[in-house]
Amino acid sequence: MAVKTNTSTTGAKTGRLAKAWQPFTRVSMLSWLVGAFAAVILEQLVGRPLAYMLGLGKIPVLFGFVMMLKTPLLIPSAIVYVLLIYIFPIAIIARLTTSVGNKLSAWLLRYPMAVSALIHLILLYGTLQIWGSINDYRNLVLRLTFIAILVTLSLNIINGYMGEFSCSTPGFLALGAYGASVISVSMFANDNLFGPAIFPDSWGVFVFPLALLLGGIIAAIGSLVVAIPSFRTRGDYLAIISLAFTFIVKSFIENLEVVGGPRGLSSQPDWANFTVVFIWVTLGVWIMNNFVRSTMGKALNAVRDNEVAADAMTVNTRRTKMVAFMFSAFWAGIGGGLFAHVLRYVNPATFGLQKLAEVLAMVYFGGLNSVYGSIVGAVGFNLLSEALRPLEIYKWIIIPVLLILVMIFRPTGLIAFKEFDVHAIIAPKE
Amino acid sequence: MALLEVKHMTHYFGGLRAVHDYNLAIEAGQIRGLIGPNGAGKSTIFNLITGVYTPTEGEITLNGVNLIGREQHEIASMGIGRTFQNLRLWRHMTVLEHINMANYSHITYGLIGAFFGTPARYKQEAEIEEKSHRLLKLVGADKFADQKVTNLPYGILRRIEMARALAVEPKILFLDEPTAGMNPEELKEMMSIIRHVHAELGLAIFLIEHRMKFVMELCERIQTLVFGEVIAEGTPEEIQNNPLVIEAYLGKDLDT
Amino acid sequence: MVSFFQNLVNALQWGSFYALIALGYSMVYGILMLFNFAHGDIFMVGAYIGFFVATGLLALTVSGSIALPGWLVLLLTIIIAMALNSIVGMLVERIGYRPLRDAPRASAAITGLMIGIILETGNLALLGAQRLSFPPLIATETYNIAGVNVTNKKIMIVGVALFLMLVLHLFITKTKWGMAMRAMAYDFAIIPLMGVPINLIAALTFGLGSALAAAAGILYGVAYPILDPYMGILIGWKAFVAAILGGRGSILGAAFAGFLLGFIEIFTATIFPSTFRDLIAYSIILIILTFRPHGLFGEAYSARLRL
Repeated sequence: MAVKTNTSTTGAKTGRLAKAWQPFTRVSMLSWLVGAFAAVILEQLVGRPLAYMLGLGKIPVLFGFVMMLKTPLLIPSAIVYVLLIYIFPIAIIARLTTSVGNKLSAWLLRYPMAVSALIHLILLYGTLQIWGSINDYRNLVLRLTFIAILVTLSLNIINGYMGEFSCSTPGFLALGAYGASVISVSMFANDNLFGPAIFPDSWGVFVFPLALLLGGIIAAIGSLVVAIPSFRTRGDYLAIISLAFTFIVKSFIENLEVVGGPRGLSSQPDWANFTVVFIWVTLGVWIMNNFVRSTMGKALNAVRDNEVAADAMTVNTRRTKMVAFMFSAFWAGIGGGLFAHVLRYVNPATFGLQKLAEVLAMVYFGGLNSVYGSIVGAVGFNLLSEALRPLEIYKWIIIPVLLILVMIFRPTGLIAFKEFDVHAIIAPKE
Repeated sequence: MALLEVKHMTHYFGGLRAVHDYNLAIEAGQIRGLIGPNGAGKSTIFNLITGVYTPTEGEITLNGVNLIGREQHEIASMGIGRTFQNLRLWRHMTVLEHINMANYSHITYGLIGAFFGTPARYKQEAEIEEKSHRLLKLVGADKFADQKVTNLPYGILRRIEMARALAVEPKILFLDEPTAGMNPEELKEMMSIIRHVHAELGLAIFLIEHRMKFVMELCERIQTLVFGEVIAEGTPEEIQNNPLVIEAYLGKDLDT
Repeated sequence: MVSFFQNLVNALQWGSFYALIALGYSMVYGILMLFNFAHGDIFMVGAYIGFFVATGLLALTVSGSIALPGWLVLLLTIIIAMALNSIVGMLVERIGYRPLRDAPRASAAITGLMIGIILETGNLALLGAQRLSFPPLIATETYNIAGVNVTNKKIMIVGVALFLMLVLHLFITKTKWGMAMRAMAYDFAIIPLMGVPINLIAALTFGLGSALAAAAGILYGVAYPILDPYMGILIGWKAFVAAILGGRGSILGAAFAGFLLGFIEIFTATIFPSTFRDLIAYSIILIILTFRPHGLFGEAYSARLRL
């Protein structure tokens, strides 16, 4: 993952960096993924002894970031570890397989694009699964980051693509989280609120998708509270309406003793493993990306940039707004359901202003109107947030300062208004 | 029966009367003009017919079908394409995307197609794109297809707005000051483009203009609007020689 | 009936806090067309500044350097804290908002949120996690008026709030600076051409808003003497809601809606279980805004034509 993001620096201004990057400009995504896959296998095999030899004690969880801040003396060792395990193997394999990778990519594209896309996804999945299997903490960070991608992108639909300032994401998350949890906890868990489990845990494979869908649908229906006023008003008033919605949902659940009130709902079955999260998030990103790239989805941009013109050009603006809100809320709801089953505990306080600030930060940090942006925003924010953990509360000074700098120098975020073209990503680079 | 008929249309903004007893009948394929001094209510008439505002009184029919009370997008998809006096473009979209967007009402692949990228969607999107290129060629702007509209000169943007309005597949095209802000060179080009479009697509055109020469050369019949009321209607010659029109334009050079 | 008036007194007190803070949101909005999302935390900073000024003055009194009665200490505290907090507000404007004046408004909103987090965390880092308690400057006296209990503190809080609003009103309508502010709220683009220094007016607006927030912070501290770094979040957002409810940029609307919000909250809490307070209060606001999308005192505008 770490190396892959470097592809965006292809046009690096500094001469030396550009020169170092030169041999890699033709490396296809396939080769990068193979390299990354090899790197995580290598880590499985020799990571522990190497970390021990370098005096790190254990495998650095997040590329050594956390370690560096905790004990600065280990910085050289951590760097050596990252170089030996990730950077060098990936670079070498990517370079060696450049021409094979390109040929293979070209060959794969002779079949329907889905085949090639699926192979890339499987490689990515394998890489991350192995990477995340090193320890529970890494696995947890990985899952939460993936869910963050889904939630960030869902908010980007409204705030980026449609240009409203919606504050209702925590509300949608809560609806999704509780919607899914009520099903799973009431029927599949021994819980003091709903009593013992009724059905065996093994049914989870079938029931969990349904539970998530239910959560998503509840969130989508809830979003009508915000969508309908959006026909008549926009901007600040809609922001307030969406904010009020978040407060109402939170307060409503706090008063709903059936689901535990302010104490929350716990003992969700352990269904949201990385595989499940990966599948749902990939599905969500795929569908959302499909939508925003269609003319129908671009109607959101038309509504944002000039609503009168959109209307005059036959765009049904009401329907567009309603679809956008419900669609966005649905995926936020799915994200909420996954979130609840990853943490296996939710309470209404989770879905308050802090969550809102977090999601907004990811959207605007990554970039508006951009799937890339949401991925970069969610991954960057989560990694930064974990990496800076040793700084304790100072973390919450550094992250806001970084975000303010991004806003000052790139007011629409790091990677805004960029199309996420799957074909261009998996195509050979020649 | 005329293609577009407006009868006794009156509109008030609050207590202010903007349009009074306005009548219009446009036959298919006609080019009609609406002139008048600033603030006479010309754009208001456009906005009333296209559904931005609902008239206080009066009737509007297109091919005999009532338009009053319908949503703007509905009226547009029934066959009225329009441009705007101050360009209303979507600043983050490319030229091609602008034209594609105006096909919204023709999209049949639905949300399922949009979400899952069905073959039907890609087929229809390809058709739409082909059509958009055709329209862009018609107005001579195809070479800008992949550019963002923020980087393009004003004259080109006017053409893009026109191509966009044509993508609605209108029976009648409303042009709100198509030559505003253009130099004489661009003006000549615009005139030939309008003629070309009219000849190619055979649609009716209803245009608001300030430049008399432009209207006189293009239009079959012209209405003159002053303070929301039509004071004269007729052929270009009749209008040019009408003392009321000359009075309304007093101090204004008729030849500009 | 007695309980109605009892609640009325409480509602007036809460309304005073909301109104004073909402004024800050509304003034900044009127001038710069953006909401200062750090304003709730500026209120918090104001309360802390008030705490240190009051404690300092008390220490001087105890040590015998000066001898001041409690009410005078309070008055001095309010004045000094308002002055100091207005500097904080101006700094926030200078650092966080001025560089973003031409950026999309959402970016400025995000910056505001982040400044808020920095203020909270900065406070936590400087002063630690323990809560501070605001020194009791005046002794509580309770008057019983026809069965309704009214404390001198409540009277003082509502009185000071109303007085400050009156001063603000006079400032805006009668002074040259106030007129410049109103002119800028009317038309931002034309004002620089008339020789009004935009940056100065913007700073002044932030300063004034922050001064009012400081006053609200101290009054809050008098009523509820526990201070913590996150105290500004909820009250700030609620005041923001009041500012919108009143009609954006409308000073009168903000003051009115601040009190209205106080009433809605207190009275829903008396009719329904207190945990329902937010649920019902926000549902009411949602309904009001759905049917009156431009707020109570805001100018009507159409979503379609605001371009």
